[in-house]
This record gives sequence, structure tokens and C-alpha cells, in this order.
Amino acid sequence: MSDADRPESEWNRALDAALKRALAPPALPSQFRARLQSALAREGEPNLSGARARLEREQRERLAELEAGYLRLRRRTLGNLVGGAFAAGVAVALAMPWVRESFGDDAPLALSGVGTVVGLAIGIAFWARRNRPFDIL
Amino acid sequence: MQTAVARAANEDRDIAELLRTGERDRAFTELLQRYEGKVFRLCCALLRDSAQAQDAAQESLVRIWKALDSFDGRASLSTWIYAITRNRCLTALERRRVQESLSDSEVEAEVESLAARASEDSQDHFGELRELVGLLPERLRRSLQLFYFEERSVREVAEMLGVPEGSVKTNLFRARAALTEQLRRRGIDDPTYWLEQSL
Repeated sequence: MSDADRPESEWNRALDAALKRALAPPALPSQFRARLQSALAREGEPNLSGARARLEREQRERLAELEAGYLRLRRRTLGNLVGGAFAAGVAVALAMPWVRESFGDDAPLALSGVGTVVGLAIGIAFWARRNRPFDIL
Repeated sequence: MQTAVARAANEDRDIAELLRTGERDRAFTELLQRYEGKVFRLCCALLRDSAQAQDAAQESLVRIWKALDSFDGRASLSTWIYAITRNRCLTALERRRVQESLSDSEVEAEVESLAARASEDSQDHFGELRELVGLLPERLRRSLQLFYFEERSVREVAEMLGVPEGSVKTNLFRARAALTEQLRRRGIDDPTYWLEQSL
């Protein structure tokens, strides 16, 4: 063991004892552990800006998905309407000779009148269900 | 004969094992029990300011916690911890140097407070001794302070400062010689006095 490790002379022993007393190790502040735990907890939280970016990205993806679904629905509805109208036209054209023969020459006019009334009734019923005009009363 | 690094690695084998098995939280709790005080004392010796040392120790431990997964065991755990702490303290010292050069009024206030503290300390010979230690060159003062902080272990001081044990021994020898010389000049080099006062 060297001189630095073990003072040998009386003076070295005295200096060692004096330094030991003068240079006492600093005590850890009482709040140190609590402050450290708080800092660690803060670090453990998810990165706020990262979380925000992730949520915004997810929201954009959801909106794009909804938009695509809505467009698909509109195209399908339009297709159904066009297809339905075409099929109705074909059916009427095919049925017209038999209607005239069975119910007379005014039958097509009466039939289209009934169709218009039924169509208007269905339209008004849907409009009333969606807009609820009687709720304000 | 075992080297200092090998000895330190052996002492922390349990923590390394916990890390290897993925028990990160338990490993850090154990690490904290063992190194919290040492990290704080190293910061105190390097920064010479208790409040700054507290901040630096806290930041070092947070960094250690965040980097714990990247500890690869190539160096001993203690060497790795002290290296992170030293780097943090060096950054704080650098920042302090920049701040001090910017604010003259703060420097003046610090000088006045140091002078007041020195005159207060000088009222007893231990205060005078502390003052003399404070006047030693940084390299010698750090070795001397840590030597007494760490219960006079040259190995621990060498690891904390990242220097060979021989350098610490040389620094301690020179620091003692310088202190002896200064105490002799001031006429307070009677061994009996110091031995009696230290009881």
C-alpha cells in the first residue's frame, strides 16, 4: 500500500485525520429521490408531440376511409337508380300493349297518374322522416 | 491479480443479469441503491456547487435510465455510469463558463459570496484547511475530495474520474505535499493539534 493509501508518519496521520474531518462526504439532499422519481415519471410518459402526430395520422386515415365508403355508396345508389329506371321503362314498354288491350286506351294515362301519386307519397314520407317538420310545432 | 475494472464488473454482475433477463426496472432500482450517492458525490467534486451537483446527478441518472437498454457490458457498469456522469458535469461546466463570461454582475456577486464564506470558514483551522483544498489545482482537488468522499478508496476515485490508479496516487501525494507546505507557512503544522482536534 502506498503513502497515499496509508499515511505512515505522524504528520501524515494528522493530515489524514484533519482532511477526513474537513472533507466529509456531502449528504444526498432529502428531496433528491422524490425529484428523481418525478423526472423519471415525466420521461416515461409518451412523447406528446409524437402522440399528437400519430392521432392526427389515424384521424386522416379514418376520414379517407369514410370518404371512400361514402363515394362507393353514392355510386352504388346512382347505379341502382339508373338500373331501376331502365328496368321500369322496359317493363312499361313491354306491358303497355297488354294494358291497353285489357283496360282501354286511357289506361296508360291512369296508370302513370297512379304511379306519380305513389312516387310523390313515398318522396314526401322520406322527406318528412329526415327533416321532421312537425317537431317544431 | 484482478484489475479494478474486473472487480467492479464482478460486483455489478447481479444488475447485469437482471438487465439480461429483461428486468429493467428492478435493475435500475438496484443500480440506484448502489450508485445514487456516488453519482452525487462525483458531481459535487467536479462542479463544486451543491445545487448544480444535484441537478447534474439527477440528469445523469435519468440518462442512465433511458440508456440502460443500450448497456452492452463491454465496460463495467460503474465505468459506464461514471462516464455518463462525467460527461454531464463537463457539459454543465462548459455552460457555466459561458454564463459567467456573459454576466459580470453575477461574477462579482459570486466573488463577494466566496470571500464571505472564506472569512467565515477561516474562523477555525478546519475552515482554513477546506479553503486551502479549494485553492489546489482542479486535478489535485478532485482526487483529494473524492478520496475522502469515497472512504479513502483509490480504486473508486480512479474509476470515477476515469484515470489510472497511479495518477490518483500521484495527485494525492502532490495535494498532501502542497497542503503540508501551506499549513507550515501558516504555522499550523503541529500534528498533535490536528490529531486532538480530529477526535
